[in-house]
Amino acid sequence: MQTIVDNSAAVIYAKDLRGRYLLVNQLYCELFHHNKEEVLGKTDYDIFSREDADAFRDMDLRVAAGNRTLREEEKVPLDDGMHTYISVKSTLKDATGLPYGVFGISTDITELKAVEETLRKSLQEVSDYKFALDESAIVAITDQKGIITHVNDNFCKISKYSREELIGQDHRLINSGYHPRTTIRDLWVTIAHGKIWRGEVKNRAKDGAYYWVDNTIVPFLKESGKPYQYVAIRADITHRKKVDEEFHKLNEELEERVNLRTVQLESARKEMEAFAYSVSHDLRAPLRGVLGFTTMLEDEYNSQLDSEGQRITSIIKNSTLKMGQLIDDLLAFSRTGKQEITMRAVDTGKMVREIIEELAPGTSHTHQIEWIVHPLPTAHGDNHLIRQVWVNLISTAIKYSGRREPARIEIGHFMHEGQVAFFVRDNGVGFNNKYKDKLFRVFQRLHKAEEFEGTGVGLALVEKIVSKHGGRVWGEGDPGNGARFCFSLPESRYYDEYI
Amino acid sequence: MKQDPVDILLVEDNALDAELTLRELKKHHLANHLVHLKDGEEALEFLFANGATHSLPKLVLLDIQMPKVSGIEVLEQIRSHELTSTTPVVVLTSSKEDPDIRRCYDLGVNSYIVKPVNFERFTEAIRTLGMYWLLINQPPT
Repeated sequence: MQTIVDNSAAVIYAKDLRGRYLLVNQLYCELFHHNKEEVLGKTDYDIFSREDADAFRDMDLRVAAGNRTLREEEKVPLDDGMHTYISVKSTLKDATGLPYGVFGISTDITELKAVEETLRKSLQEVSDYKFALDESAIVAITDQKGIITHVNDNFCKISKYSREELIGQDHRLINSGYHPRTTIRDLWVTIAHGKIWRGEVKNRAKDGAYYWVDNTIVPFLKESGKPYQYVAIRADITHRKKVDEEFHKLNEELEERVNLRTVQLESARKEMEAFAYSVSHDLRAPLRGVLGFTTMLEDEYNSQLDSEGQRITSIIKNSTLKMGQLIDDLLAFSRTGKQEITMRAVDTGKMVREIIEELAPGTSHTHQIEWIVHPLPTAHGDNHLIRQVWVNLISTAIKYSGRREPARIEIGHFMHEGQVAFFVRDNGVGFNNKYKDKLFRVFQRLHKAEEFEGTGVGLALVEKIVSKHGGRVWGEGDPGNGARFCFSLPESRYYDEYI
Repeated sequence: MKQDPVDILLVEDNALDAELTLRELKKHHLANHLVHLKDGEEALEFLFANGATHSLPKLVLLDIQMPKVSGIEVLEQIRSHELTSTTPVVVLTSSKEDPDIRRCYDLGVNSYIVKPVNFERFTEAIRTLGMYWLLINQPPT
């Protein structure tokens, strides 16, 4: 008996009613570093602190007073700190049944308590997670065959099925028929292999309404690696899908409209080309007839024409020639519109000097011109077209300064709204700024044909070319004191490639 | 069999242009052996009919825009027949906008002239090309 008591994993002891030890086992002696002889006859107050001893004594007294067995946790000071023990205490009775002492067995449950605490915390955590998940997501759990075993409130709410209607069914209940069978098969192959499946799924609620979910299915695996259940966590993305669909639809509509417009534009462009061709071909032929036969009249019937008759034939010829020029200019103008532009670096200074060489000694402009050409930066554009711009602007300046002695033409550049702007300034007749918006319109002229020749296409062509390059063109005039024409060209990001 | 000589074959449907052209050529004695036809069909008939009683032209002046058979088709036929494959052909048109310029050169046209509206330049062009092809140019023999 003593051997069992001594070798017990529990602390075993007996005290009389005044708290004096009658018996302690081996473990007691080891834990509290006393031998049995020292302990017997002493009370807890001799061995423990007053506080601890009070606690032990309190339980002992309640056991003795009620003559009963109690089972309670007690805090016991050991070398490594306080331990929790579960103590079972009962009374020792004499032959008449009266208690003469208290007998106790105390088991150290500190580790158990720690495990319990960890477990409790884990459970709390899991429960918190579950709460959060249920609040935010649609959750369903199925067995390995896909039979629904659990749904949360969100699932019921979005599917409009009650919990009872869902449990025991599989997900075919809410199948929208939207997804191809292969998608569903892929899903099953993935999760049956223990892998997580993610995807967007369209479902149908009980009332026939469709809803979209972002779906994550997590297989829970047995030790063998085979899934025993699947947890599906879903987020309602119906609204986003709707927005997506609308966006997609709008995009398609827009694309369709752009395509339609492109086709319309293309056909308009073709029509325009055909028109230009027929204009040039069919309008020129009769003009040639008029001119030719008028000339024949002059040549062969000259003697029969008096001076008035000769004046009239000459007017016919001049008017016809002018019409021919108009047609040619108009064609050049329409050609420019459909011409592809090839962007290159343009050596503006060199180009302007060449043009001045070509135009200045022209037989029709014998007047003296004082040229002031400032250094000009390299521009970026279609060489041929930019040249046309300079030719037209410089010709204009020469033409309208023709009556000045000396005529002065200045060419330079400045920065204007982030673009390089070039200008051609003359001291010619100028124009009223009131009409400056009309300058660049086709066939618009600010001067009478008798004063200055021209078809009214030159500046319109300049405007067309410059705006094709993404630049701007404008003019300022001062009647009697000259005009300044400017055009700006955007700087190119690819500029360096061409230097 | 003695064949009538033909210097120039003028194929031109526009009567006014034809008259202006003829007048200028006559003025410089280049139209003594000139045949004027008014469309492509007549031209093909003239060039390729059996039992022709005339020689092949030294120069064909061909308008492009013609009813029935266009100048392009006539040019194509001329180049594909062995007899006429080297005959000088000058195409005349009213417009440099003509989408067929490139096609004419591909088919082997000898020259392509845009008829100027200006009468002086027109007559100059006709005179120059008549003199060049009849007097200066040496055709293959």
